[in-house]
Amino acid sequence: MEVDIDVVADGQTSLINKTPDFKVPSDKLSIDNGEIIIEEITRNHKLLHRHRLKQNEVSIGRNYQNDIILTDPHICPQHLSISFTQGTWRINDNNSINGTVLEKDNAEKQDAHQQEINDGDVIILGKSQLRILFKDHQVADTIAFSPFESLIDFIRSPMAVFTSIALFMLIAANITYLNQPTEANISQLFVGAFSKSLLFALWPAGVALVSHLTKHDPRILAQLGISFTFFILMWLSDLLEEILAFNSASNSLLGLFITLLTIGLAFSLFWLNSYIGFHVSAKRRIAVAFSITTLLFGGTYLLQYSQKPEFNPHPRYNATIMAPSYLIAPSNNVEAFIKDSNALFEQASKDAQKE
Amino acid sequence: MKAFFTLIFILISSTTYAKEQAEEIFAQLTPSLYQIKLIDKASGEKSSIGSGFQISSDGIIATNYHVISSYARHPEKYRIEYLDYQGETAQVELISVDVINDLALIKRQVEAEMPFFKLSDKKPIKGEKLFALGNPHDLGMIVVPGTYNGLKKESFNERIHFTGSINSGMSGGPVVNKSERVVGINVATSGNQIGFLVPHDKLVNLFNDYNIKAPADIKQQMAEQLHANQNKLMKALINSTWQNKELDGKALIPIIEVPFIRCWGDSNTDKTDALIKAAIASCSLDENTYLSSHFFTGSIEIQFRYMQARNLSDNKFYHLYQQQISRASAGNRAGKDDVSEYQCHHDLITPDSTANTSKAINNKSVFCTRAYKDFPGLFDVLYLGASVDKNQQALVSHFTLAGVNQENAMAFTGKFMEAVSWK
Repeated sequence: MEVDIDVVADGQTSLINKTPDFKVPSDKLSIDNGEIIIEEITRNHKLLHRHRLKQNEVSIGRNYQNDIILTDPHICPQHLSISFTQGTWRINDNNSINGTVLEKDNAEKQDAHQQEINDGDVIILGKSQLRILFKDHQVADTIAFSPFESLIDFIRSPMAVFTSIALFMLIAANITYLNQPTEANISQLFVGAFSKSLLFALWPAGVALVSHLTKHDPRILAQLGISFTFFILMWLSDLLEEILAFNSASNSLLGLFITLLTIGLAFSLFWLNSYIGFHVSAKRRIAVAFSITTLLFGGTYLLQYSQKPEFNPHPRYNATIMAPSYLIAPSNNVEAFIKDSNALFEQASKDAQKE
Repeated sequence: MKAFFTLIFILISSTTYAKEQAEEIFAQLTPSLYQIKLIDKASGEKSSIGSGFQISSDGIIATNYHVISSYARHPEKYRIEYLDYQGETAQVELISVDVINDLALIKRQVEAEMPFFKLSDKKPIKGEKLFALGNPHDLGMIVVPGTYNGLKKESFNERIHFTGSINSGMSGGPVVNKSERVVGINVATSGNQIGFLVPHDKLVNLFNDYNIKAPADIKQQMAEQLHANQNKLMKALINSTWQNKELDGKALIPIIEVPFIRCWGDSNTDKTDALIKAAIASCSLDENTYLSSHFFTGSIEIQFRYMQARNLSDNKFYHLYQQQISRASAGNRAGKDDVSEYQCHHDLITPDSTANTSKAINNKSVFCTRAYKDFPGLFDVLYLGASVDKNQQALVSHFTLAGVNQENAMAFTGKFMEAVSWK
């Protein structure tokens, strides 16, 4: 019995591989010319395999006699067949154990037996899904290269990636050097900067890994280049913040501007990460970048907020000072300072009487 | 040989005399001595103890403010009780306080006229033998002989320096002379036989003021005393001579010439490997006013720090310098229930007094203040000035004032800022 099946299965397999025009001994072929595209897709509608069949009857199931052989254990050996008669395709469920469901464009689900199939419908059998397309299926418009493409091409060149990582390490070493209260040692600084760059490389590497796992091109060099370029830009925005804080009197507007700049930079980085790593719609890309930014900054804010003591006995003030070469703003006199400071007393009294 | 015997005889007789005297004093005065207990109403147990002594026949007892401070701040949470020499206990009421001199008057119910301590009408003389009475560590009433050593040097609010053991729990107990007159009240100890007493005249004033007019509200009375004291202190500071002094030959800093502000110095010139050479001068008022166990006021701190880079880039010097100035904190202890959070303001300031001269200094100046919740109009302030005009040198000028009003705080700040410059 087994031998018999094997022979039949072999025959069927060869049947699919060859162009069936003349060799298939089917009467219906001369009457109706069925042509169908069946896509095996994941539950997230990601394409796994695509079959293009030119025949009027297609059998689908787990055994090897079928035109389309699926390995899902919840599918019956001869689960269903679809046939082309009088210009339409219909489903015939062969009393399968788990049944067959037809999902229309509008996500409406119904029992698939004897239903007519339209272009774009999805057949759900077992835990697998098949999308049915006809040859006149409309495809989306061609997407033109965006201006980012040339920028990304430049950034992912090995020279540019190397330069941005080297610059990042230089900045990291410089920051450690500036904050070290003791004599600095070059090799120590280098090791610190190197490990810091490794740590920061985890983000682009992680994104590349995820895009590889989701069957996209990892483009690791482009991810590295773009991420490190943005890390440098964020450091520059920190420097700008410092210079502004040093040169200005207490002023909340500048702080807000810098915060927005940092958030904007982070958003752009995530957007570009997603642009390089994943083929998704523009709307979805913005949504993803926006949610990661919100998660990052919102999370940081929440963390700070939750750790904030109920009462802080220490003054919080901006102690930013920089070497005189960064000093641009003119100085005020004592009288003006006293006048501005007087306003604090009223504020403090108000706070004290709040409860 | 005869002379030797005489000497020993005199020595023995004088010690036995002192011992007898102490016993006698103790026996006579015990009925007017009390242990003062603060009882937590909810738990019914004592939360703090001290001593007290009756100063009138109608039941007025004197003690320290700090013994009953919890009641003064939260009368709804505690009650005050006395325990007399016969073991009798009863509740008393708080009638007046002197928070600056750490004194309080409480009143017990009396049926008949009672014996009481008489307050001395003159100051003791240096070296005079005195007897401190009190109940240390809840061990029972004791008498401690000691010596009067004048008033504490350099103090703004007078304290008697008493050579004798004063221990916790004796706070509020009387110190009497040989004729059993009260000359002081136990208040603090500095370890090893150094004790401090409130001079009796402060108690006389408080008692007389009470007899003229009893205070309507204790909190109001405290606020008035705090306001008056800071006025007296700040006026003394602002109106005294501010001497210009060199710091490491590079900077000019003001030293306020009043005896109660004491200055100390330090530098790291011995550490040749330090990246920054630093010289520090700090001055402070050594006393503060106790309001509760977590709330002190009345302190003053002034600090100057001159720094010079050694083989450092300007950027690194300023980074390390910033770390030095980023954590200034309050000079006095205060909690959430006592004060608001600090409000701060900062700007770049060049004082007019030296502007356009070679002494001119350009500071990043920070001013912070917080307000007292129970005493409106009183504030803690903090100032920090950091020079930002020299590549390799820096001068930090800093002060904190606790419990001052706005007018005095700003007058002091203005004068201070104008007085700091390069040399």
